[in-house]
Amino acid sequence: MSTQRKQGIDLGLAIAGWGYLLLGFLFLMLPIVTLIAFSFEDARFPTFPWTGWTMRWYQELLSDGRLLQSLQRSLIVSPLAAAIATVIGFFAAYALNRFNFPGKNLLSTLFIVPILVPPLILGVAFLGLLSRLNLQGQVFSILLTHVVILMPTAIALISLRLAQMPKDIEEAAWNLGANEWQALYRVILPWAIPGIAGAWLLAFTFSFDEFIIAWFVSGFQPTLPVSIYTFLGANLSPSLNAIGTIVFGISVVLLTGVELLLLPLLLDGRSSSREM
Amino acid sequence: MNPLSAAKPQSNPSLQTGVPLTENAIAATAHDLEIRGVSKQFGSLMVLNNINLSVKAGEFIAIMGPSGCGKTTLLRIIAGLEGMTSGEIRLQGKDITHLPVHRRNTPMVWQSFALFPHLNVQQNITFGLTLIPHNRADVKRKVQEVAKMMHLETMLNRPISQLSGGQKQRVAIARALITEPKILLLDEPMSALDPHLRVRMQGELKRLQQTLDISFIYVTHNQNEAFSMADRVVVMNQGNIDQVGTPTEIYSRPATHFVAEFVGNNNLFDGEVVSVSEKTVTVSCPQGRMQALWHEQPHQVGDRVTVVVPAERLSLASAGTPGENTINATLRGFEFMGSQVIYFLETDTGYEVRMIRQEALDQSLSIPINSKLQLSWKIQDTILLGEQIQ
Repeated sequence: MSTQRKQGIDLGLAIAGWGYLLLGFLFLMLPIVTLIAFSFEDARFPTFPWTGWTMRWYQELLSDGRLLQSLQRSLIVSPLAAAIATVIGFFAAYALNRFNFPGKNLLSTLFIVPILVPPLILGVAFLGLLSRLNLQGQVFSILLTHVVILMPTAIALISLRLAQMPKDIEEAAWNLGANEWQALYRVILPWAIPGIAGAWLLAFTFSFDEFIIAWFVSGFQPTLPVSIYTFLGANLSPSLNAIGTIVFGISVVLLTGVELLLLPLLLDGRSSSREM
Repeated sequence: MNPLSAAKPQSNPSLQTGVPLTENAIAATAHDLEIRGVSKQFGSLMVLNNINLSVKAGEFIAIMGPSGCGKTTLLRIIAGLEGMTSGEIRLQGKDITHLPVHRRNTPMVWQSFALFPHLNVQQNITFGLTLIPHNRADVKRKVQEVAKMMHLETMLNRPISQLSGGQKQRVAIARALITEPKILLLDEPMSALDPHLRVRMQGELKRLQQTLDISFIYVTHNQNEAFSMADRVVVMNQGNIDQVGTPTEIYSRPATHFVAEFVGNNNLFDGEVVSVSEKTVTVSCPQGRMQALWHEQPHQVGDRVTVVVPAERLSLASAGTPGENTINATLRGFEFMGSQVIYFLETDTGYEVRMIRQEALDQSLSIPINSKLQLSWKIQDTILLGEQIQ
């Protein structure tokens, strides 16, 4: 009797738990689902009931080309800025982890300053600096400013990973005949890979939807977020839903790829760090 | 000669002719390590103070001392992982003082084993060989040799995270030996192992060293490890070498106050020489008068000396035996150590004395606590140390 009741309660709790989880996901995903659905909706204004299927908005997007161009620009700037910030971040984190030198604490504090300054102020400052150098309004200027704002996160993430590294393994590599570069390449880098991958991914995402600074420095070469903003001011077109769907699709493919490639590595690194 | 080049296939005869690792190591003789006047200073702190030590070819040296005595620093200086303030290190007659770490071929076995977590057992072992141009077949054959020697044949493909402590240690040793070094450095390699395994590994390590006939320099704070394996023991204290000698020498003739306290179970009494005869020296201590036989060191009346009496040499006095020293002490307690019983006693002046007896505990328990006892030991078992008090 009592065990039956207990089983009943357990089952009820399980159903309630799953229901809660489902609701949570629904809440998270509903806006995206709506966006995707309305990119295929025939009517100009997103209203129920559904009036019919169309690919019109995608055609419009292709024929106009402005949004696609800025998407292209974003897809050049963001991965590249993320990559540069990650490389710089790795070497900075490595140096901070390995060496003790006067001013080390000051330097690590300086590294995180760009996070603390509001983007609006940074944007104005970048514009002022870049226009004096005649570098404003180019894809290169967006790249440069994004590298600056992405670096702190990259340094922090990779430092975290390097701090977990068993202290002796780099010395062990030298001791077995590896020079500094061989030790870096064969021992430190494999250890840091999960941190590096995480840092790049985060930096990419951050750069991809960064608006304020890009708004200031991009001029006539807008990135996707800037373009979407200008587009919104001019007309409310369902093409925006279409570009949103495309971006979502790219993100899903990218993230799935990274997960599939890196998950085994990440899990492996975690288990071995526990072991040491 | 660059030590790394010795592992290159084209310049290494053993790789071409297929001579096993062990025979090849035996063929190379007349090598040794010389440490000359090595000092290391951190600000005003002398970490190492003018260290001189020569290691003969194929010798097992244990460097022993309390934590902070500089033993690990000395080992790291030999490996080139740490710099020195002054001094010189020669490996097989060649000055390696300024040679960078990776060109020394002085592999080390770390306390933490320091295995590469992202590589499996085989990749860990071959690491040193794959850093230079190499022939895959040769590398493969050498791995098999080393793995066989270290009983790792069946686990070459396992990830490091799946190994036990003892297996990790064997991988660490295999990894160090594959480049055929003339010297192996070991930094407290047993401290991460459980006591049972430790005793077994001591035997294995000693056998390995004898088979390979290369020098082992083994740093430890554990007296049992040092004494059971080493040909010679180096006792270090506060950046100085206090004594170098065979385990027996160090045990029976400690050279300094520190060694007498650190090694074995010695009772130390400070006193002053009151008379010197043909054969014996008489010392007056707060605990009483004690006699010792003459040794190398000349003593004169008035010298301040320390009388050292091993706890195992003490026994309960049978009254009035000639040729023995005696002191009075009160029994304060026992400690049972398997086949031995340690007696804790206190002299009238409040000085703690230990006596170790080979007997069963119930035998000792027949003596009531706080009873006054007379302890005695033979005069020839008394060790005299000259002035060492700082």
